[in-house]
Amino acid sequence: MVSLPHTISVLLDESLLSLNRAVGVVRRRNLPIDSFSVGPALTPGVSRLTITLSADQATTDRLVGALRKTSGVREAVSYRGGEGVARELALIKVRVGRGSYGQVLDAIQLFRAAVIDEGPEEVVVQVAGSEAFVVSLIRALEPYGVVDVARSGTIALERAGAAAGSFSLSNSQDEQP
Amino acid sequence: MPEVLTGAQVLCRVLREKGVDVVFGYPGGAIMPFYHALPEFPELRHVLVRHEQAAAHAADGYARACGRAGVCVATSGPGATNLVTGLATAQMDSSPVVAITGQVPRSMIGRDAFQETDIIGITLPITKHSVLVQDISELAERTREAFDIALEGRPGPVLIDVPKDVQNQKMEWDGGTADGRRVAERNDAFRRSASRPESREEGLRRAVALMASAERPLLMVGHGVILANAYEEVRALAERTGVPVITTLLGISAFSEAHPLHLGMPGMHGEVHVNRAIQHADLIVGIGLRFDDRVTGNTAAFAPRARIVHIDLDPSEIGKNVPAEIAIVGDAREMVVALLQAVKPRRCDAWWEEINGYRRQRSEAYHGGLSPEFILGTIHDVTGGRATIVSDVGQHQMWVAKHYPYRTPNTHITSGGLGTMGFAVPAAIGVQFARPGTPVWAISGDGGFQMNMQEIATMIQEGIPVKMAVFNNGYLGMVRQWQQFFHGRRYSATPIWSPDFVRLAEAYGIAGFRVEHARQAEEAVSRAMKDPGPALVEFMIEQEANVFPMIPPGASLSEPIEGEPASARVG
Repeated sequence: MVSLPHTISVLLDESLLSLNRAVGVVRRRNLPIDSFSVGPALTPGVSRLTITLSADQATTDRLVGALRKTSGVREAVSYRGGEGVARELALIKVRVGRGSYGQVLDAIQLFRAAVIDEGPEEVVVQVAGSEAFVVSLIRALEPYGVVDVARSGTIALERAGAAAGSFSLSNSQDEQP
Repeated sequence: MPEVLTGAQVLCRVLREKGVDVVFGYPGGAIMPFYHALPEFPELRHVLVRHEQAAAHAADGYARACGRAGVCVATSGPGATNLVTGLATAQMDSSPVVAITGQVPRSMIGRDAFQETDIIGITLPITKHSVLVQDISELAERTREAFDIALEGRPGPVLIDVPKDVQNQKMEWDGGTADGRRVAERNDAFRRSASRPESREEGLRRAVALMASAERPLLMVGHGVILANAYEEVRALAERTGVPVITTLLGISAFSEAHPLHLGMPGMHGEVHVNRAIQHADLIVGIGLRFDDRVTGNTAAFAPRARIVHIDLDPSEIGKNVPAEIAIVGDAREMVVALLQAVKPRRCDAWWEEINGYRRQRSEAYHGGLSPEFILGTIHDVTGGRATIVSDVGQHQMWVAKHYPYRTPNTHITSGGLGTMGFAVPAAIGVQFARPGTPVWAISGDGGFQMNMQEIATMIQEGIPVKMAVFNNGYLGMVRQWQQFFHGRRYSATPIWSPDFVRLAEAYGIAGFRVEHARQAEEAVSRAMKDPGPALVEFMIEQEANVFPMIPPGASLSEPIEGEPASARVG
């Protein structure tokens, strides 16, 4: 039973009640959740909920199974790191003093981030990337004074070329005694 | 000109359209428009309970007994929250209950109005589906959907919350259209995973091969067989292969206990030879069960030699508790039919001989000869085996499960998953509605009986002739047993005082009998049966009798306690 990072992607009816139900299924299992994010999916009226967590395969399969039978859920799939692409968006408000502006800009360039708002003493930086990438930029900016951060949580899709909605409900057959 | 109906009338129309003939409920402020409309629908029999919990259990009992959705109705706030235990019971045991609750008017929602509660939020984890109806225009569709969802696939409870002003709204009624589209869409994922034909065919093929080659095969049969009406098919499968049949607590009565291939109940209070058979089996074909922890004991040590074939309608059950080598997702009846068409006749004589060698004779002494087995045998004999037995939760529940000689399908009804004390008496009311003219016995302990004995009044007012048996030992017996075995005999809060139940029966105006010796049992049960109304029989049983054998919690099925444990004798 090895805990690995898993991403669970859930398509559900675009309603707070459906979202509440789906989140409740996760919440009652008391699992170590790393990230939640929700937004519109391709089909109108459908939301995509993306959950990242560290869990063993059997636990992840059980969670997916429970989500799939939850009222309002249309589809739930899980994949491990390599099977999907995952990104996070962050907005970082950072102080820029007279001496540090250039250094902040250097860091931002290194992370292919952008300044999207500018004030006399602060800038708002937008960055997108893996969770680790985003966290690295926040760490890099900390010496200059990070005032606030808003992060979207991880969103993910299966890799290009993967059949949409392909998934495994493996019943943990590989973990048989 | 089209008719103009109120929301309350629309609700009643749809209930009729869905074939509802009885609703169990209790009026109150936010549900008054519904109650105002109800007398216009004499085909909708209303049963006034004494507590909303009983309405939910009665709806559950009705649903389990006849397979149609049971309906309960309550007002907002406390009325709705009182349904909660009943809904959780129905959820755990896959019972199609539709709960209709009144809600404060839409303009008041979220303002902590009088008797406002977020019943949708409260019941989210214990319902299969729930909906707050926002407008009369969607009321009919949401209500139809509620019934469809409650009944389709693996059944479960659904709650419809209807604000009072929506019940009073008016609309032109054109009869509406029975539209199941949204349901179909919603449960798309479930359906898709439930019907992967290739993997199912493959699973069935492998299962058939294993059933042919296994030396020590077992069939384990659960509630799914009852829900799918697969009794004949399971019997035929067992008879063709000679495989011993184990029935789980909710699978009891899915297979006749008079049948020579019937082995018994497994798990925490299963007989030693049943559990030992599981531990020695090389193949377990589980049909419509979820391998609950009370069945498996320690899962790591469960059936260590067995390959497991798991057949269930709900794909999320497979592999949930025990790993299944072969997963077959589908309706129990259809899957058993498919197995039946492919399995070759065989016998399991050597295996049976081995199992029979595991059988134990236990002798337990009971005060006045009034053993649970004797009492239950008496009820069976006096009712000619025609009774439906609705048991409560605790020691008597295990005795009923172990000793009542079930012959007829779906005549054993109990709260298995949630283990709800107080279930039997109100659930029996619902069962009686589903099975008019047949004997229905609610069997409770003195603890559980006192949790919902107020429903005797309901039986009288509504003319429901449920017969009640109370196993009175002056204790919350199952907890006392655990205290005896595992808590150094410290009987903390388990001695329980009861009123004089016979005089209680008299106070309600029903027949009441007390049985203290075995010789009194038959007459008391006979007189209770002859009485046209409800009747109560109190059995004064051995105070500290225990349910044996017992697998201690967390232990494996190989470690039963078969008699008074040494540590307990010290006192």
